Amino acid sequence: MSVLQAILIALIAAVSRSEGDWLGECKLREPIVTGFLVGLALGDVKTGLMIGAQLQLMWMGAVGIGPTAQLDIGIGGTIGTAVAITTGTGAETAILFGVPVAVIMQFLNTLLMSSYSGVMLVADRKIDALDFRGIRLCHYFCGICTFLAYAIPTFLVMYFGNEATEAIVNGMPAWVNTGLGGVAAILPCLGFALLLNIILEKNLVPYFILGFIPAAYVGFDLTMIAIAAIAIAIAWIIFMLRSNEGARVAVAAGAADDEWED
Amino acid sequence: MAKNEMTAESRFTKKDFRGVFWRSFTLLGSMNYERMEGLGFLYAIMPLLRKIYKDDDEGLKQAMHRHIAAFNMTVAPSPFVMGTTVAMEENAKENPDFDVSTINAIKVSLMGPLSGIGDTFFWGIIRILACALAIGFAQEGNPVAPFILLLVFNIPNVLTRLVTLNIGYNKGSAILADMEKTGKMQLFTHCAGIIGAMSIGCMIAMWVSIVCPLQFTISGSEVILQDYLNQIMPKILPLCFTLGIFGCVRKKYKTIYIIAGIVIIGFALGVLGLISA
Repeated sequence: MSVLQAILIALIAAVSRSEGDWLGECKLREPIVTGFLVGLALGDVKTGLMIGAQLQLMWMGAVGIGPTAQLDIGIGGTIGTAVAITTGTGAETAILFGVPVAVIMQFLNTLLMSSYSGVMLVADRKIDALDFRGIRLCHYFCGICTFLAYAIPTFLVMYFGNEATEAIVNGMPAWVNTGLGGVAAILPCLGFALLLNIILEKNLVPYFILGFIPAAYVGFDLTMIAIAAIAIAIAWIIFMLRSNEGARVAVAAGAADDEWED
Repeated sequence: MAKNEMTAESRFTKKDFRGVFWRSFTLLGSMNYERMEGLGFLYAIMPLLRKIYKDDDEGLKQAMHRHIAAFNMTVAPSPFVMGTTVAMEENAKENPDFDVSTINAIKVSLMGPLSGIGDTFFWGIIRILACALAIGFAQEGNPVAPFILLLVFNIPNVLTRLVTLNIGYNKGSAILADMEKTGKMQLFTHCAGIIGAMSIGCMIAMWVSIVCPLQFTISGSEVILQDYLNQIMPKILPLCFTLGIFGCVRKKYKTIYIIAGIVIIGFALGVLGLISA
């Protein structure tokens, strides 16, 4: 890997993290996007996209909510895809390298977010001094640190770690590959479980079943868009039914005397 | 409320609000455990605060301390809170009787419900839809995939910021108080949840592939275990694994431990030939 390519990969990794900080979580971190960018940098867009698609499936539900630690899919996807392309292997390699990176970098994130608490105390003092430029700098400083904390290690691993990664990939016995296949099969469930955790209340379980069963029996003849359209229709019906109900309750409460008329 | 609209014309220009809009994208820029998005929030509305308190340094300091306080919510609808906050600060400046502690109280009360709707919409529905639409193209290696993903996610992302900032400033907390009272808020979240729950159910069936490759021969006839599983229900293994992990998440096991568990169990089952993709 050339110096230029290593720098490009490092930039992709850093941007995929910093989009949350500076670009309003615009989702440059999704593996399909990082896979595409890594593919561009390494001259193999098609492979990058196909590996990105595999990782995307695995991390479908991996979203960071609040300060809770989850998976850092941006850099995980970037490094995983980059190693898979340079070693000429497939999605298994991307998983082998991407998953540990995503976990480790989340620890680094925890560390960064703890240390930025100290910056807040500086910002407090800048407020008392009415130093507006200082307040802005505090805000920028944190972002720049995060950017470097991702870009520099990625560059080092990419540029100097080539032989090590290749040795790992080539020296892997077949049974490790089948084992990783098992891991890769189950990992997507985690994403969906995390999503369910955000959304699922008891009274939404019937709708979960309504979404699952048709897709399970019909398969790909039924598209995601069809189910989404049906879901919107149902939500619409429920909204109309219930908002009338609400209005009726409000009316009833407003004119309690007339209640017997119902 | 009409009063706010009037002062809007006199005090702030369109450019001021455009500034808040752009700065709202950096809300997570200095995310930390103590104040969370506090500094980002202050950074976004600071130019407007400076205009409100341009002849009152002491008031400005207090206002800035108010808004560097802990704040945390889904980022996309956050401009709503910024707009509401600016309107309240204007009130606070104009009448001295205004109790400034209500400003942060209202901010905090907005965080929960807005994050609830925001998480459901952006993470449960829009992001999933964007990824699902892009995956098919990406699997074929079609370079249009990342652009589809980014467009489908970011059009609502940007529009929400633009629209909610205006509504937040002009109508403020009145809307939410009203929705809270008539129960519209819960109903709205519930209906968003319906779409989310159905989509996730569908996605598990379509995109998760776990099968049991085990087969053996009993007295000359071949037995394929997956066929029996399919007779119970197709896609039963993805469903069981997802619900099992969901149970662990609900029991508040740390995500890191759950991942470790998946890696160990998945590896073991894979090596034994019990599951494969």
